[in-house]
Amino acid sequence: MITLGCDIGSLFSKAVILDDDKLVASKVIETTGNIAQEVDDLIQALCEDANMDRGSLDGIVGTGSGGEFVTEADFLEDEIACIGWAARNYLPEVDLVVDIGGQSITSMLLDGEGDVVDFMRNDKCASGSGRFLDVMSSAVGIPIDKIDEIVPQSTKRVSISSQCGVFVESEVITHVNNGEKPEDIVAGLCDSVARIVTSQARRFGMGKRYTFTGGVAKVKSVVDLISERMDGDYQPFPQDSHLAAAIGAALLVEPE
Amino acid sequence: MLFGGIDVGSLTAQAVVVENGKVTAYRSIGVKPNPVESAETVIGELLEEQGIRLKEIAFIVSTGYGREQVEEKGLSKANVSEISCHGIGAQWLMPGVRTIIDIGGQDAKVIRMDSSGELQDFVMNDKCAAGTGRFLEVMCRTLGVSLDELGPLSMKARNPVDISSRCSIFCETEVLHYMQRGADKADIAASVNRAMAERVAALARRVGVEPEVTMSGGVAKNSAVKAELERILGVRMLPTPTDPQIVGAIGAAILARKMGGGE
Repeated sequence: MITLGCDIGSLFSKAVILDDDKLVASKVIETTGNIAQEVDDLIQALCEDANMDRGSLDGIVGTGSGGEFVTEADFLEDEIACIGWAARNYLPEVDLVVDIGGQSITSMLLDGEGDVVDFMRNDKCASGSGRFLDVMSSAVGIPIDKIDEIVPQSTKRVSISSQCGVFVESEVITHVNNGEKPEDIVAGLCDSVARIVTSQARRFGMGKRYTFTGGVAKVKSVVDLISERMDGDYQPFPQDSHLAAAIGAALLVEPE
Repeated sequence: MLFGGIDVGSLTAQAVVVENGKVTAYRSIGVKPNPVESAETVIGELLEEQGIRLKEIAFIVSTGYGREQVEEKGLSKANVSEISCHGIGAQWLMPGVRTIIDIGGQDAKVIRMDSSGELQDFVMNDKCAAGTGRFLEVMCRTLGVSLDELGPLSMKARNPVDISSRCSIFCETEVLHYMQRGADKADIAASVNRAMAERVAALARRVGVEPEVTMSGGVAKNSAVKAELERILGVRMLPTPTDPQIVGAIGAAILARKMGGGE
């Protein structure tokens, strides 16, 4: 069965085509102004990449905060349910999923069937989110996708004491002015994200086996520091973690 | 006899001198890299301007950031928390005041005093930039206007935009989006001031608001934030009879007079 999942997030729109649970094609674009047109173009471009006709798809499911813009969708599903479903499909033993998205952190407890039995979400405060890491590492002059290149060179982690992104930014600027090395500051920022994420996951009690999804889960420097603080076994999400909700959506298409 | 108060904040530092129950001089400066240097500079400039020498001031109290270091350095003879100084300063200026909403550069405090001048309760936010002067600073940077312009600008608003986030970082994104879509700066400014007032009002409700109410700190100069706070809390703010940024330093000077035997 060929299915398409489309996750319209606050910062990025993601779409995937699956052949059963095998990833055929994927595309990520920034979510900007004209979302309806962007979604249409995204689906068109993805189908072209996969060398496929839009009409030959067996189904489309939309998700994410802008899910309603996926007008062609057979149905919409909550992104938490999609992420849970994707985790269950590839990692059936995982009972805790922590999604670190552009503007939110969500911890989800799964039962053995792939259903989310409980979740906790922070989308009120930017601390620890992708936006936070992006703004802070840019203040050091390091784009978010270069973090993993420079953090291994760090010899000491600078300490970041504030939680609020605005105050952390001032701390970072002070560190830059004091001549601290970018890699040491960014290592401190990764630690600060890990601290915030872990404190949410811990409030849930620890899972025996956990995984990370969302864009920030691609930053190994952050994932390693969270894993250091967590109990239980870390099982890496076997696909691009940024695509987890889109993949879950595509997996939820029901056969006719 | 002369008495002095020095208040070092996160962005500005103030010094005042009182004589015979009157504020005879004050000075406000932008802060230096450390609080002792800020205190030395602000009091130094004030003394020079007034043509008086430090030893002519019988007693100085320091308050604000690094108030202990300022005392250790010998610039002041005692130090008192900014909560007490703002409460005492506001009541000395406006005897009927029970609630003081002090919004500084990096924090916000709501202070409740009883009729005998004792501190009853207070609540403070210094963990989150929302509802502090810092929030307005970030938004002004995005809007490309100065802090002084923000209040007057929002008075020209016709259709304030909708800012839904609480977090400063998310609000910044919202403001940026409105700017890109060509929204009127005045309409955005009005919403920024409203969002600011909503955060402060939520803080104030935690401690309870008892009339008379007044504002101190730099943000008290923003008339739009003040008007929004009056609307949300359903109170009238007593206007500060002096620069609202020197209320803390006045409180410190009043305490100096008491400690130094001036009354």
